[in-house]
Amino acid sequence: MENTFSVGLKNNIAPQQEYLLQGSIVDLHRDVLLHRLRGLCDNADKQPETFSDHEMVFVLRGATAQQNPVLFRVRRSLDPPDDPSWHIRYLGTSEIGDKNRHTLVRACFDVACSNNVVKFLNEMGFRSDHEYCVKGYFFHKGRMKVTVSKIYRMVQTGTPDGNTQEAMTQSSLVELSVVAPAGQEQIADDMKNFAEQLKPLVQLEKVDQKRLSVQ
Amino acid sequence: MQKEEKQLESSLADITAKVADIKNALASFLYKLENEFATLNWPTMLDNFALISSNMNSLSRVLRGDKIPALRNFTLFPVLLSPDTDQELAKLTEGRLFMCNHEVVPDYLRTKPETEVEDKINQLHTKANSITSDNAQKQLNNLNKITSNILDIINSYREEWDNDSKQKTQQPQTSSQSETNTLIAAISMGKGLRLQSQMPQQSQQPSPGMQQQSQKPMPVGKMQSSVKTTIRAGSAGHPYPRP
Repeated sequence: MENTFSVGLKNNIAPQQEYLLQGSIVDLHRDVLLHRLRGLCDNADKQPETFSDHEMVFVLRGATAQQNPVLFRVRRSLDPPDDPSWHIRYLGTSEIGDKNRHTLVRACFDVACSNNVVKFLNEMGFRSDHEYCVKGYFFHKGRMKVTVSKIYRMVQTGTPDGNTQEAMTQSSLVELSVVAPAGQEQIADDMKNFAEQLKPLVQLEKVDQKRLSVQ
Repeated sequence: MQKEEKQLESSLADITAKVADIKNALASFLYKLENEFATLNWPTMLDNFALISSNMNSLSRVLRGDKIPALRNFTLFPVLLSPDTDQELAKLTEGRLFMCNHEVVPDYLRTKPETEVEDKINQLHTKANSITSDNAQKQLNNLNKITSNILDIINSYREEWDNDSKQKTQQPQTSSQSETNTLIAAISMGKGLRLQSQMPQQSQQPSPGMQQQSQKPMPVGKMQSSVKTTIRAGSAGHPYPRP
């Protein structure tokens, strides 16, 4: 691990950690939340920024069942569709932590990449695991990032356009996240305070993903 | 008799003081209305009204009190009327009344309503007497019915408002925990996103005939079969087979 970090540092990929809180809002009340976020976040005078992304998750399974599969998330922007920017993201296992820590924490590497990354991953032996589209709004307050987005299931693989998508739920996912160098616990408190201001509209919580997979 | 007179004497002082209070309150309110109307706000208005009303209340309490003999038992009559200016009177009334003459006395010492008002009252009295008791009872019942109806309406509105305000404090459900979980499971583990490609795969295996049926509505199934063949070809001729 030590070695990976030093390599990463050399290539300007700092070991970052993502602090995360998640929740959701019913579509009916989404505009109220957007309005509140617009007031709370930076650039209140501008219209909220929108985004529309296509995410493909690639998995490399170990030879034996005991080995954990490695996942990479490739994301490209669909907005504008003619010049998509690509990036690849690795997410570590989420640590739920104890009561003193208010957010999920997980290792997070974000790297911008070229559009042949899918081909490259396939050559490496990665296989597409699943994919989805995510569309919504994006706010920031200082280094905190807030997204309010809908998740769309792809009916047909590989070609994300309006006809081949269906919304997963009648709710939008709300995520509050900060990517920061490791060991900055202060940020979790800031996020907690911010999340408090969105109550009772949205309950932003640290959601244990392992618990969800059991259900 | 002596005692009663003494009582009257002392209570008159009380009454005068109370009346003076009301007069002062009114005067200051009028002064405010005339000079500070630009800056006067509603709360101050209400304060002034409350002050006057409380002064009136205390006056009527004094009048109703035990210590005051029934004032209606006393008669007041003018002893002397003169058309000349009376300095003493002007001083007593703070310059409002200069003479006690034939013109002002009927107004100030009036014990009956004005004749027009009296006529009107009499009219109403005769009208009230002309109604038969049956009719009166009927009208009474009607009025009672109407008032109770209005009361009901008001009460139902109040309930509605109460519910409204309760709902406002309760807040409608704006987020759903199960949907949160669905969404998070989807983006973190692909739960529900992968399902579609797996379903046709399963139905493909038991019977090859099914494949053709599901070809059109589920193009994913079709793709799956082509992937399958390429894997087979790849695994045979690949120079770097994976372990």
